[in-house]
Amino acid sequence: MILVIGGAYQGKLDYVCQTFHVEKSQTADGESCSPEEISRAAVLNHFHLLVKRLVKEGKDPFEAVRQILAENPDLIIISNELGYGVVPVDAFDRAYREATGRVCCMLAQEAVQVHRVVCGLGQVLKG
Amino acid sequence: MLALITGGSGSGKSAYAENLSVACHQSGDAMIYIATMYPFDEESHRRIARHREMRKDKNFDTVECFTHLSSVRLERPTTVLLECMSNLTANEVFQEEGAGERTVEAVMEGVKRLAEQAEHLIIVSNELFSDGIAYDPETDRYLRYLGEINRQIGQRADLAVEVVYGIPVYHKLPEDPALREIMKKTGWGGADR
Repeated sequence: MILVIGGAYQGKLDYVCQTFHVEKSQTADGESCSPEEISRAAVLNHFHLLVKRLVKEGKDPFEAVRQILAENPDLIIISNELGYGVVPVDAFDRAYREATGRVCCMLAQEAVQVHRVVCGLGQVLKG
Repeated sequence: MLALITGGSGSGKSAYAENLSVACHQSGDAMIYIATMYPFDEESHRRIARHREMRKDKNFDTVECFTHLSSVRLERPTTVLLECMSNLTANEVFQEEGAGERTVEAVMEGVKRLAEQAEHLIIVSNELFSDGIAYDPETDRYLRYLGEINRQIGQRADLAVEVVYGIPVYHKLPEDPALREIMKKTGWGGADR
């Protein structure tokens, strides 16, 4: 598994397609995709929105991620890097932001590579 | 060593800072953990409990300090972990007994005194500056003060690390060979980035 992080609108998906030679059609969108789509995809985009959905449904995002990795260990996961702002006033926003951070720490630990994209430019943090 | 550990929320800053403290600490006596989060609701109690659980086997004595950092006296020089600057600054800005407009001076005086007393001082701060939201003047003033404090500590620090999902990104590394040896115990490979 490869983890690619960065702020919103930094060109993470384009970076992934160029760097790892994958097509956008091989991407599952964390905002709306089914578990089956993730298991077949090369790339899971908007991972933070998948965490948001799971938290909203009261599910354990760690458990879901373990299952995803068991089914698709070579997945490239793209997540917005959250947490670089003032603590949100809304309790759900705080919970989802926190969960994304903790799950991404776990992903970064398990990943063979971690890339961070700023202004469309990737930096390898690990691997 | 004076170290500044920063990063986003949920990025693994605390775990890194705790491990760095353990790497710094030579003697068997207890380290000091300066806790700054004021427990005002259930959520903050939960956060505090989580942090206590994380460091329970790491030989820290906990000292609470919500404001007036410069009043903290150490009985002996030891390794001190201060967590975290964003809470301490918020307390100074927003609480009645806080320093208000003198927050930056008060906090930096506290940091200076603590650094003089401690063998190693590790300060955890927070990157709150990149969400692009225009806040009310009070919150904006808080951000300005915290930014100023982070910059001043960063300038004085031997080590400045941004933790990105558990991965240390080094903004400043110590030149002192003894401190570089400590860094190697934290997994630093010896490169300058």
